[in-house]
Amino acid sequence: MRAKSAFAAGVGSAAIVAIGWQAGLGALAQQLPTSTAIASGTTTNASGTTGTTATPSPSASASASASASSGTSSSSSSSSSSSTTTTTTYKDGTYTGSVVATRYGNSQVQVVIKGGKISDVIVLQRQQVDTKSNQISASATATLKTKVLAAQSASVSNISGATYTTQSYLQSLQNALSQAK
Amino acid sequence: MPLIHSFETMGTVVNVRVDDAFSADQFTGACADVEAVFAALNERFSLYREDSEISQIARGELRLADSSEVMREAYAQAISWRDQTGGAFSPDRPDGVLDLSGTIKAVAIAQAADALRQAGATNFCVNAGGDIVVSGRDDLAAADAPDSWSMGIVDPGDRMQMLTAVRLTAKLPAMATSGSAERGEHIWLKPGTDQTFQQVSVLAPDIVMADVLATAIVAGGHAQMAHAVQNFPVAVFAIDHHGEFFANALFESALAN
Repeated sequence: MRAKSAFAAGVGSAAIVAIGWQAGLGALAQQLPTSTAIASGTTTNASGTTGTTATPSPSASASASASASSGTSSSSSSSSSSSTTTTTTYKDGTYTGSVVATRYGNSQVQVVIKGGKISDVIVLQRQQVDTKSNQISASATATLKTKVLAAQSASVSNISGATYTTQSYLQSLQNALSQAK
Repeated sequence: MPLIHSFETMGTVVNVRVDDAFSADQFTGACADVEAVFAALNERFSLYREDSEISQIARGELRLADSSEVMREAYAQAISWRDQTGGAFSPDRPDGVLDLSGTIKAVAIAQAADALRQAGATNFCVNAGGDIVVSGRDDLAAADAPDSWSMGIVDPGDRMQMLTAVRLTAKLPAMATSGSAERGEHIWLKPGTDQTFQQVSVLAPDIVMADVLATAIVAGGHAQMAHAVQNFPVAVFAIDHHGEFFANALFESALAN
């Protein structure tokens, strides 16, 4: 009932709401390169981007090294140091890990051993299967955050947002008007 | 010069923009058609109108089985989406009332786009409360770029700011954004509902899919987001309550630059 009366009130104010809508877009266009507060994320949380594991050989230690160095993105620096300091000697050859299912798709790597050391890790399957679009990245991977915020400066012809109800529009309008007194 | 018309219906504001060389009369006629589309669906599906068909069903005066074909089709569509989202989207309100407003606004946007096409428009945009369908290109589109519309996405932390922008093309011409901050309408918190995301935008081939999946991901969190991108050809962008972003590759490629 409350909503209904607000709706009726809204009809009378349709012109004002429409003007507010357009004025809001103009204000947005003028204020584009601002507000990066939303991007205050950390750089340590990489959940969702790791998860590549493999078991390339019968040796447990080889398996551990291979899985560490197969981290395809941000976590590779520590793994490379661990693989160079290891004293275990692997048998030369190419080892293919088993396919590991993750919530984002399958993952599989191949490890190449030369001179007893890991010389290469080849990603056979990324965490993607049928569609190319199903891998989700988080803003913890700096590129996503950079790309999202870089697009802030684009000119736009319209705006998408969570459903604005007439009530909320009128409330904020009234609030602004009362402050302007 | 773009032609713009705004009007109020279904408890929100609809914004029609045509970037074709329409005469004033042509534009007025096309907008009247769009308004008629929204009015007809609102008349039948609004729970705020006591005389609407869905209010009759809510009061128990009319059985769903005896309702109009339009009503039963809308119900079947909503139930199909409920099943495809594992119940994260649902037309059944917790109090037992059938509420089809979650899909009907999107259906109206799609029908409005059809009406604009029939009126001869090729480059246009229909925005109903932040849910959008486009066709062709806006006048911002560069001559060498593919036909597209540049669309901002609101910063959920400050509704007067734009957080980012995407380009909508013929492949993904529809976009819907759902939020948990301004809860109501078709987002209901069931016990155990995930509250991970404060805002979710979905770009899809059609607006009903975009709207339903955005709603479902707000309700279902990361699990629904993974389900959506694995089962539907959609671009998804979600912001959690810590301000972290989550997106799939398709969304990254849709970002404006």
